[in-house]
Amino acid sequence: MNRTPRTLNRVLLGLGGLLLLAVGGGLLLLSTNAAAARWWQDTAPSLVADAGRMLEDTAMPGQSQSWLWPLLALAMAVTVVLLVLWISAQGRGRVDTLLAEYDDDGAPGRIAVSGAVPEQALRAALQQDPDVTSVAVSTWSLRSGTGLRVRITPRQGAAPHLVAADATHLVDALDAALGRSSTVLISLEAGPRYRLGREDRVR
Amino acid sequence: MSATTAAPPADGTIKRIVRRETHAARTVPAIIAAVFGILFCLYVLLESVLQSLGQEEWLIDPPTFAHWLAGLPRDADPLFLGLAGGLIFLAGLWFFLMAVLPGRRARYAIPNPRAAVVVEAEVLAASLARRSRISAGVTAGQVLVTVGRTRVEVRIRPTSGIPVNADAVRAAVEDELALTGLEPQPAVSIQISTMGAIGQ
Repeated sequence: MNRTPRTLNRVLLGLGGLLLLAVGGGLLLLSTNAAAARWWQDTAPSLVADAGRMLEDTAMPGQSQSWLWPLLALAMAVTVVLLVLWISAQGRGRVDTLLAEYDDDGAPGRIAVSGAVPEQALRAALQQDPDVTSVAVSTWSLRSGTGLRVRITPRQGAAPHLVAADATHLVDALDAALGRSSTVLISLEAGPRYRLGREDRVR
Repeated sequence: MSATTAAPPADGTIKRIVRRETHAARTVPAIIAAVFGILFCLYVLLESVLQSLGQEEWLIDPPTFAHWLAGLPRDADPLFLGLAGGLIFLAGLWFFLMAVLPGRRARYAIPNPRAAVVVEAEVLAASLARRSRISAGVTAGQVLVTVGRTRVEVRIRPTSGIPVNADAVRAAVEDELALTGLEPQPAVSIQISTMGAIGQ
């Protein structure tokens, strides 16, 4: 339910992967194929010479160094900042407030409902269900408003559709109590005590 | 319901959430790629600053490196070059597959009128195991259930001397699956072991 930029992740991973594939494939080809090696040795030196000429042509006034070097340094610094931003964009989106509304009816102040309200209410109610071992509720900001994530660890062997139906009734009751309905995700997960061997197997 | 109640969330939002919950976000490969990218960029940054200040290089002199690169594979051990190329190729392949493969997680959507409901395969397997255990009349240790996207496999080791009715177990498991309402409903296969368990 978080706001991890999934498309961006995949696009950047794909581009990086293709780049590494090209470099690695090129090195493999050079080390194994004599014809490819000959072609490379015929082509590359002239490119290097061109690059060297360009560096000389772009020398900073009064110095021998090209101004392309500081430009490269700047580009690298910007790239580092962008990559750090990419990392920090992962897994964001958790919020503390479920609702914050201002009603212009003359009464002063605005109304805010903390995420702790649905959390406490749903947890207390769900723990009455003998099929439920543990509950964790968190609030997330979505594209359209806020969303609740209800993570339930059922008792081992409990029927998931029954637990889900029970949780749905409680969510309906919460809607009625709050007068607002938010997007809800009910996630039935295996807790640590569930883990026996492989992930999708259980005895 | 009071009149102030906003409309329940749109179908599209629910679908989107279910999709996101049942597919991997690729967070770990993204962070690995970003960290390697940052290290590489910092190194290039350092060398280019040294070059622009007219200082000696730290590790690799760019012009020397360019000439070495252009002359490959002349000044390099072919074994080392091939090994390095292979490793880079494999790393690239891993990142590329991470980008292209759907990355399904072992989770299934259950239809629900109000909320997005997702169940982990392990939870589903446990409930099916319980149902088939009761139907077959064996203990928990004698049933192994594997849940896949298109098939459910139930393996039962019967108590020695007491036969297990495979059709009854199949009916029970299919009934439980129908109640859960997975889309598409997985096919059920029951395997009864010829070796019995003693002393259950």
